[in-house]
Amino acid sequence: MTSTAVTQRTWWPASAAAVIGAAALGLTLLVPRLFSDPAGVDPFVLRLSAVATALAAASLLTPRFAPTRPVLLAVAAMTLAFSVFAGGPQWIYDISGNRFDFNTQVLLASAAEALLTAVVALIAVRVSPPDLSPLLRLRRFRSAAAIATALGIAAFLLVVLLLPATLLGREGIAPVALARDLPLQGPASILQSFAQELQFRGILLGALDRIAPAWAANLGQAAFFGLAHIAVQYQGPAGAFVPVTIVLGFALGWVTQRTGSLWPAIVIHAVADIAVTVGVIPGLYGY
Amino acid sequence: MATERRRRARLLAILPALLMLLLPATVHAATPWWEPLAFSGQRVSGVVALPGLMVVSTASGAYLSSDNGRSFQPISPGRHLALPETLGPIVWQIDHGTVLTAPAGRGLAPDPHAPFLGATAHLIAAPAALPGVVVAVGSDNHVWRRSPSGQWATSFVLLAAGGLAGSPQVTSMAAFTSAVTGAVYMGTNGYGVLLTEDGGDDWIRADPGLPENVLALSADSASRALYAATDQGLFVHHLQAFPAPPAYHDASLYLRWLGIAMVALLATLGAVFGLRRALPRPSSPQGYR
Repeated sequence: MTSTAVTQRTWWPASAAAVIGAAALGLTLLVPRLFSDPAGVDPFVLRLSAVATALAAASLLTPRFAPTRPVLLAVAAMTLAFSVFAGGPQWIYDISGNRFDFNTQVLLASAAEALLTAVVALIAVRVSPPDLSPLLRLRRFRSAAAIATALGIAAFLLVVLLLPATLLGREGIAPVALARDLPLQGPASILQSFAQELQFRGILLGALDRIAPAWAANLGQAAFFGLAHIAVQYQGPAGAFVPVTIVLGFALGWVTQRTGSLWPAIVIHAVADIAVTVGVIPGLYGY
Repeated sequence: MATERRRRARLLAILPALLMLLLPATVHAATPWWEPLAFSGQRVSGVVALPGLMVVSTASGAYLSSDNGRSFQPISPGRHLALPETLGPIVWQIDHGTVLTAPAGRGLAPDPHAPFLGATAHLIAAPAALPGVVVAVGSDNHVWRRSPSGQWATSFVLLAAGGLAGSPQVTSMAAFTSAVTGAVYMGTNGYGVLLTEDGGDDWIRADPGLPENVLALSADSASRALYAATDQGLFVHHLQAFPAPPAYHDASLYLRWLGIAMVALLATLGAVFGLRRALPRPSSPQGYR
C-alpha cells in the first residue's frame, strides 16, 4: 500500500466523523430554539450528551465505524463531562439536601467531570485502532513545557489587562466573596481545566494529529472548542465568544503540539479559569 | 418499500416544524432593566427622588418633577426648596472619614469597628431591609461593607478600565429606606451600576440599557424605583425580579420536550446514516475491524 493510500484511508473517516458529529450536535442544540425558548426550558446538555453517546456507541458496536472512535469518543467525553459538571450541583443537592454548600457541590461536580473524562480517554486509547489511537501527551513535562507554561500565563494576563474591562467583565474584585469561594472554586477550576484540556487538546487533537498535518489537526480541534462554547453560552450571548475561544483553543493546541505535553495547556487554562473566578463580575444574565 | 421508508422519514422530519407552528409563543421580553426617563442626550449631574418629588441637576439648571419624572419644571435660581427627610430607622453618615450612626432622631456616635474612610469620603448606603448592613466608599475608592454583626471588610475594589486607563470612580451609593429590597446600588463613572443583594459580599453588573457613566443614584421607596443621573440623560429602574427562564406547568412543556427529543433522535439517525454513506464497507480492503 502506498503512503498516499494510507493517508486517504485514515484521514477520511475521522474527518467525516468530526464534521457529521458537529453537524448533528449543532442541529440538536439549535433547531429546538425555533419552537422552544432561548432561555432554555430543557436541560440542553443532556440532549447533546444523548446524541454524542449514541454516536460513540455506534462507533464501538459497528466495525465499519471503528476509525471514527477516537473523534466520536472525544465528542462524547466533552458532552457527557459537561453534563455532569453543569447538572452535578443540582443532583448533589437533590441527593444530599443542604449537606454541602454550593462551592462544595461545584468542586464535587468538577471532580466527577475530570474522572469521567479520564475514563473516556482511557477507553479511547484502548478501543481505537492502534494506528489511530489518540496521543494524550500526559507523560512529558520538560523544561520547554515549563517555559511555555510561564510565557503562556504571562501572555494571558497581559492581554487581559490591556483589553477593556467592560469587554471582559473584569470590573472589580470582591474580596469577601473571594475569601469564601476561592478555597473550593480554585481546585474546582483546576479539575475543570484538566478535564477540558484532556477532551480537546488530549483526545481530539491527539486523534487528529494521527491523521492530519499539525496545523489542520489544530485548526480542527480549535473549531470544535469554539463551537462547543455555543452550547456553554446557550443561555446567554453566544456569538461574540466563539471566535475568541477558537483563537484560544488554537493557541493552546499549538503549545501542546510544540512541547509534546498537555500540561502547559492544563496549567494555562486553570490560571485563566481562576482569573475568571477572581476578576469577572457576573451580570444579570450570568457571565 | 424503500419509497415507503422515505415517506416515513420525511414525515418524522416535518413533525418538529408542525409542533413549532402549533405551539403558541409564550415567551415575552422582560421589562427593560433600565429605561430612559427624561433629558435624553443631556448630562444630568444629580438626582434626588423623594415620595412625590424629584429634583435633577443639569447643565441648564435644576428641574423639579412632582409626577415621578413624567414632566419637569425649571426651578428658578435662588428659590429655596425645602425637601422632606426620608431617613430609615437607623441613620448612617460619614463625617470627615468617620462613620457615625444612631437611631433616627437621636444624636450620632461613631460606629465602633468602622475603618477610617478618608477625609473626602461621603458615599454611604444602608438598606432598611437588612438591618445593620452598611456599604460605604473610602477616599481611595475602595468599597467597604459592614455585616449585621458590626464587622467591616473591604467589599469591592474597582479594577483598571484597561490598557493605560485608570480605574473608574464610585460616584454614588443608594439603597431603599423602607424594606422593599435589601439591594444596595453602586454607581460608577465607567462601569455603570453594580448591585449587591447580600450586604456587599457579592456584586453583579446591573446596567442593561444604562450608559456607562453614572453620575448619581437615588432610590424612592414610594415609587419602588431607582433613578440614575447619567451623562446621557435621566434613567429609571423599576424594582423587578432578576431575569429567569419562564416556568411551564401545562402540556406545552411536554410538547416542547417531545419536539426536542425528536430533533435529537433525527439528528442521531441522520449522523449514523451519513457515516454509513461516507465510510467504506467492511468488506472493502480499506475497512477496519
